[in-house]
Amino acid sequence: MIKVHHLKKEFFDKKGGKIEAVNDINFHCLKSQIFGLLGPNGAGKTTTLRILATMMKPTAGEALVNGYQVVKEAHKVRQSIGFLSGETGLYDRFTPRETILFFGRINGLSEKLISTRMSDIFKILDMESFKDVRVDKLSTGMKQKLSIARAIIHNPPILILDEPTAGLDVITARVVVNYIKEFRNQGKCIIFSTHQMAEAEKLCDEIAIIHKGKILSSGTLAELQAKFQEQDLEEIFFKLVKVKAEGEV
Amino acid sequence: MNRKNISLVFKKEIQGAIRDRRTLISMIVVPLIFYPLLFLGIGYFSVIGQRNSENIPSLISITGAENSPELIEILKKDKNITIIHSENNLDDKLVADNIQLTIDIPEQIEIERDYRENNKIIPLSLNMHYDSTAQNSLVAKKRVSLLIDAFRRKIIEERLNKIGLNSDFLEPFREQWLDIAPEEKKIGFMLGSILPYLVIILIFVGAMHTAVDITAGEKERGTLATLLVSQLSRLEIVSGKYFSVMVISAISMLLGMVGLSIAFLVPAYLLGEVSIINVHFSFTLFLLFLLILAPLVGFASAILILIGIFARNSREASSYTTPIYMVAIFLGMISLSQGIELAQPLFFIPILNNSFVFKELLMGTIDWNHITATLISNIGIALLALFGTVKLFNRESVIFRS
Ligand SMILES: Nc1ncnc2c1ncn2[C@@H]1O[C@H](COP(=O)(O)OP(=O)(O)O)[C@@H](O)[C@H]1O
Ligand SMILES: [Mg+2]
Repeated sequence: MIKVHHLKKEFFDKKGGKIEAVNDINFHCLKSQIFGLLGPNGAGKTTTLRILATMMKPTAGEALVNGYQVVKEAHKVRQSIGFLSGETGLYDRFTPRETILFFGRINGLSEKLISTRMSDIFKILDMESFKDVRVDKLSTGMKQKLSIARAIIHNPPILILDEPTAGLDVITARVVVNYIKEFRNQGKCIIFSTHQMAEAEKLCDEIAIIHKGKILSSGTLAELQAKFQEQDLEEIFFKLVKVKAEGEV
Repeated sequence: MNRKNISLVFKKEIQGAIRDRRTLISMIVVPLIFYPLLFLGIGYFSVIGQRNSENIPSLISITGAENSPELIEILKKDKNITIIHSENNLDDKLVADNIQLTIDIPEQIEIERDYRENNKIIPLSLNMHYDSTAQNSLVAKKRVSLLIDAFRRKIIEERLNKIGLNSDFLEPFREQWLDIAPEEKKIGFMLGSILPYLVIILIFVGAMHTAVDITAGEKERGTLATLLVSQLSRLEIVSGKYFSVMVISAISMLLGMVGLSIAFLVPAYLLGEVSIINVHFSFTLFLLFLLILAPLVGFASAILILIGIFARNSREASSYTTPIYMVAIFLGMISLSQGIELAQPLFFIPILNNSFVFKELLMGTIDWNHITATLISNIGIALLALFGTVKLFNRESVIFRS
């Protein structure tokens, strides 16, 4: 459902120096699959996901999301995705019900569809008790549930999650992880980024290890373990980084 | 561009603004309550202060009183004047407001009552000291100079009588001045001197917080990203935000006009300076006000949104809006000074033109050249700013600045 082909993104820093945030990457993710982008800070995860979510335009290469081109058919792509990141905020002065109503409307849903979707989602995410409480009065866990609800109100087949558990306490993080699994069971395609090896190990059907804008290796956990003769993902990662560094010298 | 989407964004921003105490304060409390109270307060205290010093007797120190006992008699008759006798450090006492005026009558012969041709007598000179920065001293000066004037007229009359003339000799005719300015125009003049300035400030102040909050603030809190991945186009987002800032700015402006009119008219009425019955702001005039202020609202909102989108966070946006606000105050202030007439080309400078045309309208002048120039420049710049905002909104380096 997502196809990334020789994708490239360059930035220019303040001195005019070129930063190759994403450097010629290729991968694809399928339906009912959780695809993990694993890499340290600055690896290019956020940039990749932002391009997939049509928020940024690639410098070169192309990406297809749900069969649509991210640049030329951005509108169609946005209909197909739900986007969530550690930084995406909520409107403090609105209640969860108002929030969901607004996001349903700006995603072009009919009032009737919004109300059925909303009550379903509130039930599944166990949000009934606080649906009319202003967001600034909610706990972190409640807010994260609302963020998820906001991202899936239009029932997108694809979820793009940028470090969705970053900054959450273990309990809330667990809630999020469980919903990610649940969405896979519903047949959605999920691409998510993380810098936590353990999380990737537990959750991902397929993992791409990304470092300095390049995908060093990808495959299922078992494939990676077989290829590098290592059980531990962390060891695999360091092996890869070391090989790459030596290759550069 | 879809009108329904624009209205979704618009409604969301207005709803958020109404629930924001800071917006309510700058949009409603400041123009409708704080401004009028401030001006009523200033007016009240200056009137009270003036009345107080008019009730306080003036202490006057006279040296050389023996040189003109007649003048001393006249001064003594005034209940509000107390003559005290002190000799040294007079000016220090004056500055310290221990006394309000000093008179020094030089040693000279008695004032000449007769007047002959080839009179050789040098006129007596009265040296008086006062402090122009002390209200009480100014009151003393006013009192004393009235009395001295009466004294002078008395002597002149005596002299004239001696040669067989009376005071008509000095007054071949009388002046009669009649102010025929209509009451509305007088009020217009009064309001026109300060209302445009205050209203212009309100247009900026009322909208500033909201404009920053829904642009730079959304960027900072990460909610902007959620709008960008929705079905809304960037133009729709910018338009919805722009209209909501305009509405808030306009509400603040209208409330300010109401509040300030009350603040000006109530004391003027109480002091009997204008009869309120004569005030009728016609509906056409009101429409003209809107015609001239609406483009300014559009202009201010566009500039504020532009700055808000450009800034990294709300703090940065606030520091960018401060100079804009100062320029607005400065341009508005030019209209405060009486007697300045703008040349036609200057009517293309926004804010300056709004305040001058507003002033003209308050005085009953409708100059279509000025109005047209004002409309063209305001709308033109607002459109440019909006165009710039949409451009900025499409730039990754601006939206994802950190
Ligand atoms: N808007 C931007 N402007 C300039 N440089 C950027 C921008 N966004 C990211 N970068 C740079 O691109 C690189 C990759 O960043 P990012 O995709 O955020 O990494 P990650 O999400 O894996 O931590 C970093 O070096 C970062 O500094
Ligand atoms: Mg990141």
